Amino acid sequence: MKLHQVEVLDREKFGNHTLLRYRWAGDTPRPGQFIMVRTTLSASASTLDPFLSRPLFVHDYADGEVSLLFEVRGRGTALLAEESSHVTVSAPLGRGFGLNVDGPVALVSGGVWVSPFKLLSRNLSLLDIPHDLYLEIPASAPEAYAVWISKAYPTATFVRTDEGQEAPHDLLKSMGDLSRYRALYASGTSETLATLREASLDVVPAQLAVRERMACAVGSCYGCAVPVWRSGERTYARACVDGPVFEAEVLAW
Amino acid sequence: MVARTSRLGVELCGILLANPLMPAAGTLSKEVVGDVATAYGAIVAKTVTPEPRAGNPPPRIAEVSSGMINSIGLQNPGIARFLKDLDAFDVGRPMIVSVAADTAEDFALMCRQLSTHSRVAAVELNLSCPNLEHAGATFCTIPGSVGEVVAACRKTLPDKPLLAKLASENAVENALAAERSGADALTLINTIPALSIDAWERKVFVRGGLSGPAIKPIALKVVYDVSRAVNLPVIGCGGVSRGLDVAEFMLAGATAVQIGAASFVREPQRILKEFSSYLTETGLDACELTTTLG
Repeated sequence: MKLHQVEVLDREKFGNHTLLRYRWAGDTPRPGQFIMVRTTLSASASTLDPFLSRPLFVHDYADGEVSLLFEVRGRGTALLAEESSHVTVSAPLGRGFGLNVDGPVALVSGGVWVSPFKLLSRNLSLLDIPHDLYLEIPASAPEAYAVWISKAYPTATFVRTDEGQEAPHDLLKSMGDLSRYRALYASGTSETLATLREASLDVVPAQLAVRERMACAVGSCYGCAVPVWRSGERTYARACVDGPVFEAEVLAW
Repeated sequence: MVARTSRLGVELCGILLANPLMPAAGTLSKEVVGDVATAYGAIVAKTVTPEPRAGNPPPRIAEVSSGMINSIGLQNPGIARFLKDLDAFDVGRPMIVSVAADTAEDFALMCRQLSTHSRVAAVELNLSCPNLEHAGATFCTIPGSVGEVVAACRKTLPDKPLLAKLASENAVENALAAERSGADALTLINTIPALSIDAWERKVFVRGGLSGPAIKPIALKVVYDVSRAVNLPVIGCGGVSRGLDVAEFMLAGATAVQIGAASFVREPQRILKEFSSYLTETGLDACELTTTLG
């Protein structure tokens, strides 16, 4: 995969999250696409350690600047949150959200995984598609995250949850009658996506952005398997090229 | 001596390669083969089996220090579908098809299907896959199995080079068996059995094969040992991520070198460029490296 060294414009940190912005002159990212990103130091070291690049949804893109929003969860993301002036990135990858819809639509994120929605919301606005945002703020989320998300998404409905098994249902309840929407776009924990998938079937077409560990990110390694239905058979799709956005009815969870 | 076209060119089993690099089986899909074709002297397609395989349930990959563990389970559409899509891999480079099966008989049947296919330059037997007749042990760990499969495939693939891809375990013994049974070349090594545990969830995370720079010294020793034990060309594989790694494997005895997991994180074109620079600096041709270790 072709990787590009790019200049980091800034990093904004809140709680365990980092919003990293960099200048980008390549292909225009579409909502729901992701970037493979790694520290420039790890890309040049003979150990290539940490070995794999990290797949991160494009959070936003405007005026030649891409932003990535990520939570520090391990060594790779910790280094990305810290390393200095440059990072190494791929071009935008994968199949993002389909925007061929005449609205109104709902955007819903569970857990602290709102990352693909800024660009999605921006593009929906450009297309004059009315959209409502429902964003979970779990009880465990740091206050700094709650403050940031409130500012970043001023028009959203925020759903504070106690986490656990009920959280996805609380999120769902806050949305009311789903049938008033023409499409539902979702991002979040696998529990959230599974709940939304179930609720959306036969009610509203739903597009779910899944998160999987990835290695090659271009369809070669089959590491990011997602169970799907194809021609009536349960098989595995690749999140990197067949997704990461999947129609709800295709997913075989 | 076959004429070569450049300092990078090598000959493998009578096939001229523009350079000694090729992708390891399972690391290059048809979707992107066109983007990297110029970096490789030959293309190796993902392992194909007689029938379609859905592959293993996720999680399939785990990152470890300087490498990764994978447990894909040979997800593939089966050989009938594979042959229909073969054009996608035709990018002007010799094409090597990697095959795996549960029995020697099934291996041989696939070789028969490939034997008359004009686009297929050679067949690589993936002998590190589980053998159903022996409760899931791999062919490389069952005494006599490697020789049995290679001999069966030799009969059904009489006119194309037959490559045996071996595991690091019992490598010299299996290499000698493959040679006796009619293999034309050996690919060494496959991923190394490995385990990753999620301590927080207190469960096995991924049990599979380790690849990446972490395994390079092991692979290098196997290539060195085997190439001194047999009279067959060896294709080195295991942790190759830089041009100097290519040189090291060839100095250890390899005629060609496969790039696997590193192609996920580095462009193979860069690796080829680094290797080319090494040749320029040393004044050596690629084909000379295999015999120049002091």
